[in-house]
Amino acid sequence: MNDPWLMLIVSCTVFVIGLIGVIFRKNLLVVLMSIELMLNAVNLSFVAFSKIHHVLDGQINALFVMTVAAAESAVGLGLVIAMFRTLKTADSDQIQMLRD
Amino acid sequence: MENNQELTALLILPLLGSLLSWFIPKASQRLYALLVSFLQLATGIYIASHANFTKGGGLEQTLPWLSDLGIQLQLRLDSTSVWFVLLSGFVSFVVLGLKGSWYRKQARLFTSLSFFLIFAMNTAFLSTNLIVFYLAYEAVFIPMILMVGIWGTNAKATSVFRFFLMSFFGSILMLVSIFYLSYLSFLKTGNLSTNLDDLMKLSADSNISLSLCFVGFLLAFAIKVPLFPFHGWLKEVYVNAPTPATIWMSSLLSKLGVFGFIRFIGPLFMPTFVEYQGVLLALAAFSVIYAAFLAIQEKNPKSLLAYSSISHLGFVMLGVFSLSDAGRTSAIVLSVSHGLTSAVLFYLYDLIEVRKEGISMDRYSGMARQYPILFVCLFIGVLASLSLPGTFNFVGEFLVMLHAYPVSALCTILSGIGVILGSVYMLKFYQRIGFGKSEEMTSTADIHGFDLIVVMVILAIIIYFGFQPSIFLGGVDNV
Amino acid sequence: MSILLIVLFPLIGFLINGIRYIISTKKGTKISSQQSGMIATFAMVLSFLVSVYYYFQFNGQSNEVKLIDQNLFSWIKIGAFHLDFALRLDPLSLLFSLIITGVGSLIHLYSIGYMKEDASPAKYFSYLNLFCFMMLNLVLGSSMPHVFLGWEGVGLASYLLIGYWNLDVEKVMAGQKAFVMNRIGDLGFLIAMFVAYKYVGSLDLIEIQKSTMSPFVVTVFTGLVFFACTGKSAQIPLFTWLPDAMAGPTPVSALIHAATMVTSGVYLLNRISPLLIQAPQVLSVIAIVGVTTAFIAAIIACAQKDIKKILAYSTISQLGFMFLACGVGAFDAGVFHVMTHAFFKALMFLGAGSVIHALHEEQNIFKMGGLSKKLPITTITFVVGWAAILGIPPFSGFFSKDEIIIESLNSPYGNQVLFAMALLTALLTAFYMTRLLVLVFFSPSRMDKDVEEHVHESPLVMTFPLIVLAVLSLIGGFWHHSEGAHENSQMIMITSVAVAILSAGFSFYRYRKFDSEEQTNNFIENGLGINNFYNNFFGKGVTIVSKGLFRWIEAGIIQNGLKFCTWAVEFSGNVLKSFQVGSVQVYLMMMVLLGLSLMIWVLQGVMHGVLIYGK
Repeated sequence: MNDPWLMLIVSCTVFVIGLIGVIFRKNLLVVLMSIELMLNAVNLSFVAFSKIHHVLDGQINALFVMTVAAAESAVGLGLVIAMFRTLKTADSDQIQMLRD
Repeated sequence: MENNQELTALLILPLLGSLLSWFIPKASQRLYALLVSFLQLATGIYIASHANFTKGGGLEQTLPWLSDLGIQLQLRLDSTSVWFVLLSGFVSFVVLGLKGSWYRKQARLFTSLSFFLIFAMNTAFLSTNLIVFYLAYEAVFIPMILMVGIWGTNAKATSVFRFFLMSFFGSILMLVSIFYLSYLSFLKTGNLSTNLDDLMKLSADSNISLSLCFVGFLLAFAIKVPLFPFHGWLKEVYVNAPTPATIWMSSLLSKLGVFGFIRFIGPLFMPTFVEYQGVLLALAAFSVIYAAFLAIQEKNPKSLLAYSSISHLGFVMLGVFSLSDAGRTSAIVLSVSHGLTSAVLFYLYDLIEVRKEGISMDRYSGMARQYPILFVCLFIGVLASLSLPGTFNFVGEFLVMLHAYPVSALCTILSGIGVILGSVYMLKFYQRIGFGKSEEMTSTADIHGFDLIVVMVILAIIIYFGFQPSIFLGGVDNV
Repeated sequence: MSILLIVLFPLIGFLINGIRYIISTKKGTKISSQQSGMIATFAMVLSFLVSVYYYFQFNGQSNEVKLIDQNLFSWIKIGAFHLDFALRLDPLSLLFSLIITGVGSLIHLYSIGYMKEDASPAKYFSYLNLFCFMMLNLVLGSSMPHVFLGWEGVGLASYLLIGYWNLDVEKVMAGQKAFVMNRIGDLGFLIAMFVAYKYVGSLDLIEIQKSTMSPFVVTVFTGLVFFACTGKSAQIPLFTWLPDAMAGPTPVSALIHAATMVTSGVYLLNRISPLLIQAPQVLSVIAIVGVTTAFIAAIIACAQKDIKKILAYSTISQLGFMFLACGVGAFDAGVFHVMTHAFFKALMFLGAGSVIHALHEEQNIFKMGGLSKKLPITTITFVVGWAAILGIPPFSGFFSKDEIIIESLNSPYGNQVLFAMALLTALLTAFYMTRLLVLVFFSPSRMDKDVEEHVHESPLVMTFPLIVLAVLSLIGGFWHHSEGAHENSQMIMITSVAVAILSAGFSFYRYRKFDSEEQTNNFIENGLGINNFYNNFFGKGVTIVSKGLFRWIEAGIIQNGLKFCTWAVEFSGNVLKSFQVGSVQVYLMMMVLLGLSLMIWVLQGVMHGVLIYGK
């Protein structure tokens, strides 16, 4: 696990998994979880680069992202719950209100 | 060119008027509108009377705005723009006095939009910076379209859409041309500028071909005037718009196109202009006859007036395209006289429509007997529209044709046929509304009060300047 | 004293009566015809007196002095073009002013009686004064645009007065026809002005007269002016409006469509006579058009039944004589005939008005007859007018008409054909005029019983002008002295008088005992189909062209083109709309795909660069 390039490959894989999840999963909760995956993938690459360049900035940024991600997931969950309450569904196919 | 700090008053006043109208009670909106437009007119006259317009003089004012991008608020009141600014002041005073649904439904919005329109129009007439001109030129649409949309007739949707589409098509090409011109100027001088005075120097350089830019400007203004074959939007919009909007369009918006030809196309593209002169003269002459023929078969009186407007503007363009100082001044005279005449005709027609619904050119309505004074006024308006000698229009039309004749005898004679056709449709218009036996009598009174005064004042001006037009003709140095 | 006064008095009269009319409609009061009529007549009389004053001023002076210029104000001044609003009095315009104000005064006076029952006499008299004002501007204007002001102004007044009874749509249409046909001629006037300005540089009439233009330009200019004159003076091809113009009140027909307005063409030709002499082709065209018009109108007049229509065609015919005179270069003779014709034709029109008035708007001569006993003054004065138009010595028409006939043969521009046509027209004139006279006044009565009972002579206010005009028709010929009598002129004189008397005798014999309606040729009665031809060809032509333009070009190309453009915009909007499904996930996918392709494109470029330059 010492090879930071390995960390980057993992991060990339996780990011793509998250992206595919966001695009193709229908359940809003799963979409939210996929977003978290993507954020964590980014965190991972932050850390990896911090290690490659021997600079601490990346690790600090990763801490920031984690806090923001926590807040975001809280807000996101709240939104999903609110949506579920009003629309009685958490299926993204049924929630298409950007048009008309 | 004198530097003068008062010119911004011509812009600030209507802008303030537009904002403050929201704080005025609905019932006194008309009074407020009249007051502000009167102030506006008085300011215009005051400023104009203090300037010396002979030998290309005038007033100028420059305010910094986005100087890094070469955009300044550069205002200029010269012998061209002063008549259009005064015309806009005068016509707005007339129009805002007209009572109608616009003072009953959302009156605040109406006054606000009206003054915004005047603000935009004055900016366009005064600015010598092309970008500012373009912005103002486009801004005119906003109130216009809203007015047609809110107070227009039921069939307004498509007409507004076409109006917007055509005008926008033209002006977007103009914008591209402006960018290209300023780019060329940047290449040449190293300074980024969109001022008319800087860009004017480009046409002297024979290495640069400005034909495409010329076409861009030409389309923008030709659609606005409108010149055949770009007139398609006009009739429907005139008919469906509420009367104030119709008057604004026929008296002022069309003049914005004429003004553009004189102020911008002339100085910017003179060599190209000369190249295309023959085609343009032919288009103008054809506009005159074509619109006159269309007016003859028209059944709706308002459409008839709309076509007559196109026909008369063909004469104006004939003067512009003769490309001489005298021809240009004649075109301005005819523009002003046409602005006044079409304002009074649409105004009177609105008064007539209020008195009797469903007037058609298919039958005789016989209203003259019941409203003699109204029809005396209308008749004088019709005579002015026929440009009978003794009216302001005659001076304009006569001078235009006099100066176009040496340039192109054929086009002048062709447009002369429009004079004959004009007497056919205008008399038809008057007779079908006024004469014959009328079956039913309505209870509305004859023209009176404010309407009568306004109409009489305009008619008096039309006749007075028919004999004393010299004040308008000073723009050309007398030899 | 200033010549402005001649023009000013009718203007003041017009304004006073116009304002009185507007006030009366506002208050709903009725104005008596005496009051407004007196104001209008008084204005005309004053104007006449000023003209008479100038007549005596000019009398006995040498020709150079007989020119008064009065500059009123600077009218149009732009660049090199400068135009003053100026009046100019010379013998020609003085003669016309005298005719206009003199005959005008009489007709104004007559109108007081004639329009007694009218609903709005103030309006009528204001129009009448407006007409005189414009007509005086026409003859006194010093520049072409000033003449044009009068030229269009009289057309306007004529339009207003023809359609004066505007409840009747046909009368309104007649007015419009007159106005539009006049405007066709006016186009010639306008273009003539442009030509003059281009080649002379001035529009002042004297400067145009003196100018030296190339022969071609002179021909074009005079031709255009002549075309304008055919409109105003009802000559071929623009003559069909005059018979229709009889829809107006009879005094109007007498003033505008007989004595003054229609002769303005003769006035204008006289004004440019120095140029016309330089354009022999135009002169011969004028002569041919004049004599043809005279002849054709005389033929049509023979088949008319309406008393005013007969007089209208007779007017066209006499105007043709005047044009013939101008066309053979005898301009003086033309003007002389304008004067005598003004007297006797106004007299006959007013006489006809008196008859129509007495018979309660009956205009068909076959429903008249035997009126000589009931309308003695009208009859006597009408006979004087009849004798004058026939050219029986010593009545005024004899002098002027014979001078024209003589000149048509003797003048350097004349020839036998013109002479023969003129003589033939004189013959026809004698025929139809006698027919009119006999059928109206002397043959057995064919009136309806109830109409016949009410027939009465007109009041003094109407008969007085008749008497004055009759006297003028009798003595008017002595004001002019024709010089240089040819050896054959006496022969011609005797021939023409003999022809007229013989023709009159035949007509008298034929109609003296007529007691039923004559079967006239429909084709001739309808003006040889010329009117119908115009209606079908030009009237319908304009409609067809305008409908066609609307249908094929406006609706077909322009509106459909616009529709296509709006459709294209809407269509492309709809196509692009299908990408906007409203689902965030689809948008995201598109974003990712687009980002990826962009990245690949950039990377490819980079790789390409690396491969080529990268070493």
